[in-house]
Amino acid sequence: MSQTLTLVLPTLFLSPENRLNSAPFLKFPSSPSSSSSSNRSRRSSAVKAFTVTERPRVKSTITGSFYDVLRVKHNASQTEIKMAYRNLAKLYHPDVAEDEDDSISDGLDFIEIHNAYATLSDPSARAMYDLSLGNHFQRSPLSSSSSYGFTSSTRRWETDQCW
Amino acid sequence: MAEPAYTVVSDSENTAEEKSSSAFPEIAIGIDIGTSQCSVAFWNGSQVELLKNTRNQKMMRSYVTFKDEVPSGGVSNQLSHEHELLSGAAIFNMKRLIGRVDTDPVVHASKSLPFLVQTLDIGVRPFIAALVNNAWRSTTPEEVLAIFLVELRAMAEIQLKRPIRNVVLTIPVSFSRFQLTRIERACAMAGLHVLRLMPEPTAVALLYAQQQQTAHDNMASGSEKIGLIFNMGAGYCDVAVTATAGGVSQIKALAGATIGGEDLLQNMMHHLLPNADTLFSSHGISDIQAMGLLRVATQDAIHKLSFQSSVQIDVDLGNGLKINKVLDQQEFEEVNKTVFEKCESLIIQCLHDAKVQIEDVNDAIVVGGCSYIPKVKDLVLNVSKRKELYKGMNPLEAAVCGAALEGAVASGISDPFGNLDLLTIQVTPLAIGIQADGGKFVPIIARNTTMPARKEMTFTTVQDNQTEALIIVYEGEGHENVRENHLLGYFKIVGIPPAPKGISNINVCLDIDASNVLRVFAGVVQPSSYKLVTPFMEVRMPTVDDGHGWCAEALHRAYGSTTDLVTVKKKI
Repeated sequence: MSQTLTLVLPTLFLSPENRLNSAPFLKFPSSPSSSSSSNRSRRSSAVKAFTVTERPRVKSTITGSFYDVLRVKHNASQTEIKMAYRNLAKLYHPDVAEDEDDSISDGLDFIEIHNAYATLSDPSARAMYDLSLGNHFQRSPLSSSSSYGFTSSTRRWETDQCW
Repeated sequence: MAEPAYTVVSDSENTAEEKSSSAFPEIAIGIDIGTSQCSVAFWNGSQVELLKNTRNQKMMRSYVTFKDEVPSGGVSNQLSHEHELLSGAAIFNMKRLIGRVDTDPVVHASKSLPFLVQTLDIGVRPFIAALVNNAWRSTTPEEVLAIFLVELRAMAEIQLKRPIRNVVLTIPVSFSRFQLTRIERACAMAGLHVLRLMPEPTAVALLYAQQQQTAHDNMASGSEKIGLIFNMGAGYCDVAVTATAGGVSQIKALAGATIGGEDLLQNMMHHLLPNADTLFSSHGISDIQAMGLLRVATQDAIHKLSFQSSVQIDVDLGNGLKINKVLDQQEFEEVNKTVFEKCESLIIQCLHDAKVQIEDVNDAIVVGGCSYIPKVKDLVLNVSKRKELYKGMNPLEAAVCGAALEGAVASGISDPFGNLDLLTIQVTPLAIGIQADGGKFVPIIARNTTMPARKEMTFTTVQDNQTEALIIVYEGEGHENVRENHLLGYFKIVGIPPAPKGISNINVCLDIDASNVLRVFAGVVQPSSYKLVTPFMEVRMPTVDDGHGWCAEALHRAYGSTTDLVTVKKKI
């Protein structure tokens, strides 16, 4: 009689830092039944078995920052980030990715791309992320609380990003 | 008795390995099965085209009559008179009833329909029956939809001169995953393979993306356009916010509710005849006729009020019951105030979830059968603070056209002019999570998360030497009481190494692929090495079947005393 669970840690394995640094990374590989479902249609993406080391990455970005994932410069504007995201989505989204190359059709690369985009397109999240990258360029130190103030003015992303 | 018009293909067969290996790929058609009307569209090689039935209609009534033993649907059947639809032999509004249990308020509201909807109020599927030769003949929403889909399929096969197997169907945003399995079931019964179930406003968004792409001549993929899409039909109201550029439609947020023209109609019927429910509760033949007459008269009046300020209603319901009344727009809007308020709140919620300011919306698009109602147009204009709505679409055809575009794209068709160079980035309409923290719903994948998605969370035991854990997966927004949500399935983790409470780590990972298939992975991990202790579980959900309302209760009875859970402070 012991069917109880308590929440401990959110996003232990999927936090951006862990993903990027390839920290010990728990993965649930798929059983044969789930991979066979990829036959179902061209667009269905199966969960693939892999470990961290053999994990297929977005091509040309082995490991690196979100900027590398989106293939943009560190000072890229919001427009550039959005454009990069869309162009990569057209290549890596499981709906359009080619079947013959299994490594890019399982949807995980798109998840990486989207995670990068989700952070970089949110000014406050981007600011925090830039700080965590170790200050490649000068930015005024922002505490998490003050940076959250920017979320209320999301519509001025393109001008607000160069604080 | 004649053979049923549909065949039951097993679910496994439906996901068969017979991938189209022919030289020319099969193009999936788009089907919009509405609560009241449906339509079929396909990519004809250069553009989307709607199919017409033998009576030259593009919009066909979504109903099935069970008259002469052989059921026939609104695709082929010629109604001698509108009232035949209301003789008790015709079943309609199945999209409102599919996948719902008999405790659902939507099912209870359907009891005023002129056929039999019976509830026992215990959480099982409702009893639905048509009046055939003075007998109530039972059927199911799946069967009715399947009969209808068979007719649509036959019509498409004759006109396109090829077998049709793959389809893209539009569905309401608010459908639970269980309801989606019921739609897939109906398709399987009709021998159709569902390539994609597309939330209706996202189909509209794809059409919008294509129109914007064409308008901008394929260049400047940086010039993003934000569209607010409001879709209200007979059964459901859906809202989406999309950001589109270069043929990519990125859905920012979705919102939806089971409100539609049917609610407007029922409110008006109650307004005209306040004691309608008690009058017609016995479901005798004369009751059904009276209900039917009232329904037709009210529907007619609502249609007229879209184009004129007042309407005269004269209807004789029999048994000395007559209604003579002048109804004006203001009265109509007052009676349906709560429906329109709900519509507004959906739009506001969707914009909020999308983190889009109203000033940044480039186009407000209103589609669906209710888009002709002046109040609906007004409320969207008001909320979106603008003077006019987007004009580039036929409100009744937009969703099915989007579905046909998706069907062509999903079938791997390319267009030399780039008209199919399209992509929809979908989001999850509802949060998905598990029961934890003392009967609370802990979302693992939040609402409006981009798909495909894969998220995981770690949980721990609350008792010393706890060796088993129950994973109960829900979908919905009821965060405080987990039972407000839709149950998707449950399974047990066993073999947790005995340890003091709070030490063991149980990892739960939810994976939604681009085809919207949900898989739940769970296993015990060693906190130090993140290695799995035992083989993990992989469960494709939903696993629940009809009457699943009972499952959660039974689980609670069997295990409830041990589920007093405590939240451990989350570490950031």
